[in-house]
Amino acid sequence: MKRVEANHVSAWYGGFKAVDDVTLAIEPQQVTALIGPSGCGKSTFIRTLNRLHEVIPGARIEGEVLLDGEDIYAPGIDPVSVRRTIGMVFQRPNPFPTMSIRDNVSAGLRLNGMRKKAELEAVVERALQGAGLWKEVKDRLDRPGASLSGGQQQRLCIARAIAVEPQVLLMDEPCSALDPVSTLRIEDLIAELKDQFTIVIVTHNMQQAARVSDSTAFFNLEKAGDPGRLVEVGPTSTIFTRPEDDRTEAYITGRFG
Amino acid sequence: MPETRRVFHEELEQLHTDAVRLAAMASEAIQAGTAALLDFDLAAAKQVVAGDKELDDLTHSIEERTYLLLARQQPMAVDLRALVTTLRIIHELERIGDLMVNVAKGARRLYPGPLDPKVRGILDRMRRQATAQLQLATDTYAERDPAKGSALADMDDVMDDLQKELYRTIFGSGAHDEAEVQRAVQVALLGRYFERIADHAVNIGERVNYMVTGAFSPEG
Repeated sequence: MKRVEANHVSAWYGGFKAVDDVTLAIEPQQVTALIGPSGCGKSTFIRTLNRLHEVIPGARIEGEVLLDGEDIYAPGIDPVSVRRTIGMVFQRPNPFPTMSIRDNVSAGLRLNGMRKKAELEAVVERALQGAGLWKEVKDRLDRPGASLSGGQQQRLCIARAIAVEPQVLLMDEPCSALDPVSTLRIEDLIAELKDQFTIVIVTHNMQQAARVSDSTAFFNLEKAGDPGRLVEVGPTSTIFTRPEDDRTEAYITGRFG
Repeated sequence: MPETRRVFHEELEQLHTDAVRLAAMASEAIQAGTAALLDFDLAAAKQVVAGDKELDDLTHSIEERTYLLLARQQPMAVDLRALVTTLRIIHELERIGDLMVNVAKGARRLYPGPLDPKVRGILDRMRRQATAQLQLATDTYAERDPAKGSALADMDDVMDDLQKELYRTIFGSGAHDEAEVQRAVQVALLGRYFERIADHAVNIGERVNYMVTGAFSPEG
């Protein structure tokens, strides 16, 4: 279980600066929520934590991201191995549509060279159990991933992410495409997963941040075109009852934005 | 950027206004209840008892609307504190109403009077003190200004002294028979009711402090 430390992270898309100078410590065995209005840089920032930002042509970052003290941007570090250690779940459930449920979960492992069928089977079951999906799919592991409902697909993606045993799990709006009941299931799952993973979640839904997270970071931008900055971070219990910064207060009470 | 929760904030404001109105009703109850007692006006006492229902009704209406806003709007930060404070404050005010019902009923229990002039004077001063404290607490809440309520704790010492003075007077009167002891106990209870009202006013001031700053009062 690892601690993630972002030090003075700024991020650009070509000439446009999207994130400015964010320093944030993400503690293990906790859920850290990133909230803020559209364009505040929270989604860009979370992508800098597993080197996914740089995949976009022209995108770059400055600053450092330490995983238990080691800079994931240091020369010689393989971005693919970073992403194995720091997994990600996206906004829209994106299982490989024609691949079976079983193969969806084991895709990462097979890519990493695991071949033994028994081993793969064991990991698939463990990951599906971990994602709270096993009971629903154990009798139809050969059906395509796309045959599942939206909420199940998202849990399948979580199973796929945790199958490779990452240390950190990043979730970018994991429930925004889901119905309320599926959303609550994922939230329960997050509470269970935080014992094993360091979790960071970006959410537009403040109530969700209040429900699932231990720590909340509020990002904001001064005006359209400005980069997003970290305004305030603290225990979720404080941020949603008595935030220190007036801008946080204004945002979470809906007095702007 | 524009405000995004205008309707919700208007509803919050309405609750605030209604809670202030409830405080005004509690203040009127203090006047009416004490007058009924000191004049031994049984009809007026009956009105105070009946009037308490109005106070209870408004309390319940505010309470229900507060629950609805909590459930429907999931308020945060200052809005959350304002709603929880509303619940706490209306409870204090509702208790004041109940205590004044007890005071008004004292008119019946001590009927036909008259009260010892000294006791009468102390009870009237207690009325004035309770009213002043409730008024200050109400202003503190209405204006969301905890500094205004900072004098409430000191004012409460005045009320405590009045209560002691009342007890001394009762003991000094030297009740001779059971009827006199019974009356003395009733008078002592009346003092206790006023003293409790003043405490509720102090609590309201502390609650406003929490509502505005998010911190509990040192003595709260």
